[in-house]
Amino acid sequence: MVANAQNRVTGTNVSDSLKSFWQKNGENIFLPLIGVIGFIAIWQLISMSGITKLPPPSSIITDKNTRTLLLYPFMDRGGLDKGLFWQTLESLKRVALGYSLAAIVGIGLGILVGTQPKVNKALDPLFQFLRMIAPLAWVPITLIALPNVQTAAIFVIFITAIWPILINTTVGVQQIPDDYKNVARVLQISPRKYFFKILIPSALPYIFTGLRIAIGLAWLAIIAAEIVMSGVVGIGFFIWDAYQQNYVSEVILAVIYIGGVGLILDRFVAWIQRQILPQS
Amino acid sequence: MTAFVAVDNIDKVFSLSNGGSYVALKGIGLEIKKGEFISLIGHSGCGKSTLLNMIAGLDMPSEGVVLLDGDTIKRPGPDKMVVFQNYSLLPWLTVRENISLAVDEVLAHLSKEERQQVVEQHIKMVGLQPHAEKPPAMLSGGQKQRVAIARALAIRPKLLLLDEPFGALDALTRGNLQEQLMQICEENEVTAVMVTHDVDEAVLLSDRIVMLTNGPGSQIGGILEVDIPRPRKRMEVVKHPSYYSLRSEIIYFLNQQKRIKKIRAKKTAVVARHGLEKVNLEIGFVPLTACAPVAVAKEKGFFAKHGLDEVNLVREASWRGIVDGIAGGYLDAAQMPSGMPVWLTLGGHNNTPLPTVTSLTMTRNGNAITLAHKFYEQGVISATDFKRMLLESTEQQHTLGMVHPSSMHNLLLRYWLAAGGIDPDRDVQLKTIPPAQMVADLRSGTIDGYCVGEPWNLRAAMEGVGFTVATDLEIWQGHPGKVLGVREDWAAAYPNTHIALVKALLEACHYCADPANAEEIRRIVAGRDYVSTSIDYVHLGDPNSYTCNLDQPMREYAHHAFYGEGMNRPSRTETLWTMTQLARWGDTPFPRNWMEILERTCQVTVFSIAARELGLLDNSYSRGPIRLFDGTVFKSDDDPIAYLNSLEIKRDFSVAEVIIDSRPPRVA
Repeated sequence: MVANAQNRVTGTNVSDSLKSFWQKNGENIFLPLIGVIGFIAIWQLISMSGITKLPPPSSIITDKNTRTLLLYPFMDRGGLDKGLFWQTLESLKRVALGYSLAAIVGIGLGILVGTQPKVNKALDPLFQFLRMIAPLAWVPITLIALPNVQTAAIFVIFITAIWPILINTTVGVQQIPDDYKNVARVLQISPRKYFFKILIPSALPYIFTGLRIAIGLAWLAIIAAEIVMSGVVGIGFFIWDAYQQNYVSEVILAVIYIGGVGLILDRFVAWIQRQILPQS
Repeated sequence: MTAFVAVDNIDKVFSLSNGGSYVALKGIGLEIKKGEFISLIGHSGCGKSTLLNMIAGLDMPSEGVVLLDGDTIKRPGPDKMVVFQNYSLLPWLTVRENISLAVDEVLAHLSKEERQQVVEQHIKMVGLQPHAEKPPAMLSGGQKQRVAIARALAIRPKLLLLDEPFGALDALTRGNLQEQLMQICEENEVTAVMVTHDVDEAVLLSDRIVMLTNGPGSQIGGILEVDIPRPRKRMEVVKHPSYYSLRSEIIYFLNQQKRIKKIRAKKTAVVARHGLEKVNLEIGFVPLTACAPVAVAKEKGFFAKHGLDEVNLVREASWRGIVDGIAGGYLDAAQMPSGMPVWLTLGGHNNTPLPTVTSLTMTRNGNAITLAHKFYEQGVISATDFKRMLLESTEQQHTLGMVHPSSMHNLLLRYWLAAGGIDPDRDVQLKTIPPAQMVADLRSGTIDGYCVGEPWNLRAAMEGVGFTVATDLEIWQGHPGKVLGVREDWAAAYPNTHIALVKALLEACHYCADPANAEEIRRIVAGRDYVSTSIDYVHLGDPNSYTCNLDQPMREYAHHAFYGEGMNRPSRTETLWTMTQLARWGDTPFPRNWMEILERTCQVTVFSIAARELGLLDNSYSRGPIRLFDGTVFKSDDDPIAYLNSLEIKRDFSVAEVIIDSRPPRVA
């Protein structure tokens, strides 16, 4: 009896907490879910009606090859024939390298340009010019300039991701309020302390904005780069390969992977920003 | 002792983006002693923050130098710490870290423990121990400013510079912080310079208040010493006799600056019309019943009738405004107390003779001496009673208000006191207060009585705060009250305008004197544009029925006389008497060339022409000697210096040749 009663109590507790959880987050889960299901349903209907040659989303499961890819992301048959996990990982490695380089060079250069108006004047037109060149336009140049496809891919990511970081850092450093600079001048704070206690904290929100824009661009760039640079393991080339062989449902599956990874990357940088800058 | 901070004749010029330049400050010179608290006050954009920044070394003067302890200030440094307007705390550091950042950097010679101790001590000093670990974002505005002050004081600066430190705070917080700052400054003997535009804050905190004029080319317009003893308490300083005069001095200055700005913006050109040299006139007046002729001339169209169709009346709160307006040249003419033209001519204003002429006496009488009601209860109904009362209460300082050193109020009040055996400088204290402020001051008890023109005596009587102890009828029946005054060079430049002006006002005086118009004039004078008071306080009328009478029922009113035989003609005898009285009380020297001064100040000819053309009066009438209530008879052919010597109560007076510029040539 007693045990039963206790169970009942905990039972109601669980259902209560579930209820309150649902009340709080119900809309946040429910509405996006409706959106996604609705989208898939319409796509399915259009494909089945025969208006377009695009296979319906259900083909991910109904197509045999694609089903294998979906169910076995970790398979490795050697060469380019690898599961989607490995394909994505290869792409991510390149992004990590290129993006890290872009962050280091971009922040460093941004601080230099932001603190030295003369350097800014000298380099700003150049930056604005280079910034306008699309990632794909860089591919032929890098392929000619650099020894192998790997480095070329990393360079394309680097050159795409660096601009938002560089420009935001510059603005962040230029935007340090005069009040803080005056405090530093009056107190005659040493340059090292000024850098760590005033310059960096003050510019940090701007730097993070740049980093967040850059991660999205880097991920966009890698796909584009891999599609062009044939013969490397990576999700971009995977799509291109599947398209050439007319495995359209594989393309759709890969596209879902790309979107998902992009979302996760953005959230990851946002999470780092929250860890470092609790107030924003 | 040499000055601790010396601002030596500095200019500051900013170059503008369009290639021009803006002169922000011009010729600023200021010396600050050690331990002094200085406030810089002025309108927005007058360059007070720029001046502070230059003392801080954050900005360099274009010309001149700023010295701190004898060394030229070339760069900012912790010895001249700034408390910024918007606190300037680093938001990513806690309160303690913000203060330590400064302390660790500046007091690096101390050991770590000592530095920590300094930080803790200053957090405690501003009472922020519970908040030491919070970032500034979690503090209120007042708390943030306390952190900024703690940070500034923790590094032990020689000089503390505050840029509108309490500007963004609510009144209550501001008050508390002001007291805290004062206490801290006194305990640590901090030398401080504060920029503010809060007048009360400046008076409360400062030893001296530096008032800056408006830009471009701001200069020091005046420096006020605040003689209120320390330690000061916010609620108590307001009771100090100097408080309100300092306050009104600053407010007057600031208002004046605002006006000058407006006048600069207007830039009026001389408009000549109807054969007159200038018809666009700015005429100053002070809101009193005696402004009736000026008001009437405007409202009833007498100015326009005589061709002056662009007259603008300028209401000044005090006679000082009139003096500044005439001296600064932005008033063409003004209603003046009868002594003012000669006072200006003799150099009463800034010790520089400013030849001023009068050609019309607009009113006579209308003044009275009012004492606080408590004296009536003590049986004081004459000067002799007042003296007895003063002798009985020598421990108390009694203060009487008057409106301007040159006004008849001052001279009559002094004469009345002296005739009763009271020395107006030693036995009592006389203070200059704007007319409209008298009743309020009497009610608050900051003054014990005053001599002023109506309606302020009647009003005090009707409100029961004071009583009229003597009207001018009992001191000098028919004394000149207000006159029309213009600069001598103005009169020379615009002779026809001058005559037209006198004609318009003389006709207005005539109109005022007609009892049939009394109601209408009362309504005009009491209106918003003029005295702006209840019509009950404004009376014009039959002199005899309004003579003051202290028996029951009390009748307390000093009537005005606007027009009559020999009333409006400027009188040399009266001007001479005024000169003797000004010399008697040490305001101006007695001029050895008094004949010349009389000749030039009283422009009887202008009056005669005006009167003749109006066909109003027999202008050949000459007034007889002056008869005063103590039996003295003053005649113009008496020796004025012998008269001065015969007076018992007087200051040391000097006799000197007053050289006034030769008449400027007439403008053709």
